[in-house]
Amino acid sequence: MNVIETENITYYYEGAKTPSMKGVSISIRKGVKTVILGANGAGKSTLFYHFNGVVKPKEGVVKVMGEPVSYRKKGLTALRSRIAVVLQNPDDQVFGQTVETDIAYGPRNMKLPESEVKERVEEALFQTGLGDLRDKNTLQLSYGQRKRLALAGALAMKPEVLIMDEPTAGLDPQMALELMELAEQLHHMGTTIVISTHDVDLAYAWADEIHVLRRGELIFSGNSEDFYSDPMAVHSTGVMQPSMFVINNNLAAFRGEDPAPYPRTESQLVSKMVSGPKGRMTAIPVGTDTDAAALGRILDGRGDSKVGVFGTVSRRMMYDSSLPADYVFNGFESCMGECLMGRDSILVCDRDSISLIESKIQRLKDFGTEVGFEVRA
Amino acid sequence: MANILETRDLTYAYTSRQEDPSLDSVSVGISEGVRTVILGANGAGKSTLFYHFNGIFKPKSGEVLYRGKPLEYTREALSVLRNEISVVVQNPDEQIFSATVEEDVAFGPMNMGMERDEIERRIQHSLFKVGMEDYRYRPTIQLSYGQRKRVALAGALATDPKVLILDEPTAGLDPQMSQEVIELVEELISAGTTVIISTHDVDLAYSWADEIHVLRRGKLVYSGKPEPFFEDRVQTALAGLVLPHTFSVNHSVQAIRGLPEAPFPRTNSQMLCKMLPDCDAAGKIRLIPVSDSLPECAGEGRVGIYGSNVRRLFRAAGMTPDFHFNAVEHCLMEAVSGRDAVLYCDESVRAAVLERIQSMEQFGKCVEVVM
Amino acid sequence: MSEQTQMDTLAYSSRMLSWAPLGKFLFVIAVLIVNIMTSSMLVPFVTLAIGLILMAYSTNFKIPFFVGLALAEALLILAIGAGIISITGDKADPAIWDTNLLWFDIYMTADSFNKAWLILFRGVAGMSVMLAFATSTPIPHLSQALRQIRMPREVSELVVLIYRYGFLLLERMESMWDAAHCRMGFNGFMNTMKTTASIAVGIFTSSSNMADKAQIALDCRNYQGFFPVYNSPPKVGVKWIAFTAAVFVLIYLFGIHTEGWINMAKLFFGEAI
Repeated sequence: MNVIETENITYYYEGAKTPSMKGVSISIRKGVKTVILGANGAGKSTLFYHFNGVVKPKEGVVKVMGEPVSYRKKGLTALRSRIAVVLQNPDDQVFGQTVETDIAYGPRNMKLPESEVKERVEEALFQTGLGDLRDKNTLQLSYGQRKRLALAGALAMKPEVLIMDEPTAGLDPQMALELMELAEQLHHMGTTIVISTHDVDLAYAWADEIHVLRRGELIFSGNSEDFYSDPMAVHSTGVMQPSMFVINNNLAAFRGEDPAPYPRTESQLVSKMVSGPKGRMTAIPVGTDTDAAALGRILDGRGDSKVGVFGTVSRRMMYDSSLPADYVFNGFESCMGECLMGRDSILVCDRDSISLIESKIQRLKDFGTEVGFEVRA
Repeated sequence: MANILETRDLTYAYTSRQEDPSLDSVSVGISEGVRTVILGANGAGKSTLFYHFNGIFKPKSGEVLYRGKPLEYTREALSVLRNEISVVVQNPDEQIFSATVEEDVAFGPMNMGMERDEIERRIQHSLFKVGMEDYRYRPTIQLSYGQRKRVALAGALATDPKVLILDEPTAGLDPQMSQEVIELVEELISAGTTVIISTHDVDLAYSWADEIHVLRRGKLVYSGKPEPFFEDRVQTALAGLVLPHTFSVNHSVQAIRGLPEAPFPRTNSQMLCKMLPDCDAAGKIRLIPVSDSLPECAGEGRVGIYGSNVRRLFRAAGMTPDFHFNAVEHCLMEAVSGRDAVLYCDESVRAAVLERIQSMEQFGKCVEVVM
Repeated sequence: MSEQTQMDTLAYSSRMLSWAPLGKFLFVIAVLIVNIMTSSMLVPFVTLAIGLILMAYSTNFKIPFFVGLALAEALLILAIGAGIISITGDKADPAIWDTNLLWFDIYMTADSFNKAWLILFRGVAGMSVMLAFATSTPIPHLSQALRQIRMPREVSELVVLIYRYGFLLLERMESMWDAAHCRMGFNGFMNTMKTTASIAVGIFTSSSNMADKAQIALDCRNYQGFFPVYNSPPKVGVKWIAFTAAVFVLIYLFGIHTEGWINMAKLFFGEAI
């Protein structure tokens, strides 16, 4: 099902010589990890401002859940709570003095009852790990914290579609990984996530489907590989082929094999390159009700196994109870790396992400890697 | 090699009430001509450090030396110093203050009191280097972010600094533009400029740097070649960083194969080289150095271009190469996978390109160069 | 794009960009002054013609919509003002129209009626000339013109810096505005007030941040306290002054000669007066 659909939309800014959006017809499918790819100035932000009605097309129609967008006040309010946008620069979207009031800004504007506002703020604080900073003045936050705050503000509106513009730009590598993990969890829980970026490596790792913009025109919609296989199109878009794609293609060409299946993560690439005896991965599901002491006892018996962490709840618990972890960030990939090298690993992960982990392991089978996996209660 | 820049026990705090100093007895040496990266998470003290290099900040204790001499903080001495050590900050809007591109680039040379002919030459040269010659008379506010970033860089190039310090030079740039900036940096190095890049991008740092200096909360925790640092996973994690992709893939693959990790591949072509069996013959790269005009193409295989001069000549001739950006890397991959390739490069960077091609040998493939 | 940005873009693409800014400035001032020196009804039309021709030439005969809008806006405001002037005539003179409308005492005389028209014409004509200048002279050029008439350097540099940072803050304001829309910041009166206040605070903090950072960034470029100018716009030559003086004198003479030629009150109310 298409959550957002545009039909032939055209838009030009007042006084501009060329339109910034030329006859774009795009479909964003529900529950599909989507990337809007394009160079600076290709029209990415103009496009997603059409999605939530901030910009009204001069021609063409925008449909959300099959219904044409109503530009009446009431319609727009409803629309913007369903489709949230997180901008690249967090400073452009701080509207509260403290972390808490800023997160509450959206829900309060929606005129929700105060109890509901409180609840949503709490949840967003927890998801983004900003709980300890709730009373802090927004001016005193670091860049990474402000970026998380901007995301929290959007999450508090409980959107069905979350559009993130360059979500990892300017973030430290660890924070970038943490953020993408959160995005993956949100996607797994049913939010449709759209990422707008020019970072091809990020786009390649994340996207099920990409839409490529060039000077206001949609030049491609579909599978990443189909786009990157066309060097002229890639070049004219102002981007490059992702490293992972390049290595795999050369490897396949040398071996005289079909490049598919295309690896998108390190573990998939390594699986394609070499194989050896595999270790086992043990997942320990964690929820907010999990007893930290019991978790600690399990981890005490870890032996030589390395411990990784995946998910907001798990990371919080490991941090609060100072439990030992080798891989606090990028936990799944690192633990999988251990298994590929023939060593066992333990992954402490959020209970609701178990099926996500399972699907990741399942995916690895396409690349010739079968890893023993068990969930310990 | 001699240290062009050095700090000894450098300590600095923005305010006296600060609990931890922003820089805590940092002793770092930057060697002349060495590709140097200052690596660290946001707020680790990277910018505080390089603002000491050009004398914007004065250390609370310790000292900063340029070419072995401690900095003097008089107006005249600082002015001389800042003409030699140029810092390009991350956000171009802070640094561009003239209304048109031309005026902004002319600022440095005018400030240094140069002759008009020389200023004109420098404006043309630096705008050409960053590929903005067509924008010379445009007002700066009408430029896109990437264009502003290039103008800011051109402004620094116009003063012809001995040391160029770039803060997150690729942040916010499109992939092609990032590549162009890195290639430009290589040209500057070949021309004798010492370039320091400050970044938190580990992949950029690992593929580019000869030497890294890692900062964590104002302390220098590592100085040296990148590999030993990333081998220490705990140290890497504590510094707020992660492993570069190439490093981590190589690590896993070699562990599975039961082979030593060294030599460490830093680029995709080097990694590919290690992954493929070494019995097969590699393809040849026909290297065509270009100075004033494009020679006839006389070679088989896909064509790559490298260097700002070649790029301009190709554009003028309306020719399209197969590899516009990161071409050395792409041509190497072609060769490593057994295909021939043609690489046009600026005469000025020929030595550096040859060196990169020859470096493949240590990864198990000898790529032959035909001139 | 905001109107300010459009204006700037227009100025930089003007065909009159390379004309001496100080020359343009002197010319416009001269025309404005002569416009009000005589009470001829025809002079404003000459001025208006000059303004429109210059504007048309400057924009390559494509006067953009928003400039027309600015003129129309001015016309409206002037019309209101002129209307008020026309109905507050001197009670000593005979009235053309004397009535009480609600609590307004309306007293129009031939004199006040003519005066109102004159002011309206002068105003519109003046606007057109000023717009012709504004659409062909970017602010930095103006600042250089200021420098040529020996304005202190501090003033002209301040003008450039305010100009540059003004646009950056404007950009910032636009993106905050969009961001507020995304979070329904304009849903209802109270929310709109709160949002507007937050944006103002945001602009304020970002401008003070920018000032801090810009100081360091300026030092990085070895800023010595002044901006040297590489390409000064052309200086005012004798030609400019001679031409301006000639136009001034011609219009003045024309004005003296045609004073009283047109009497609007007569045109409207006939020979009755």
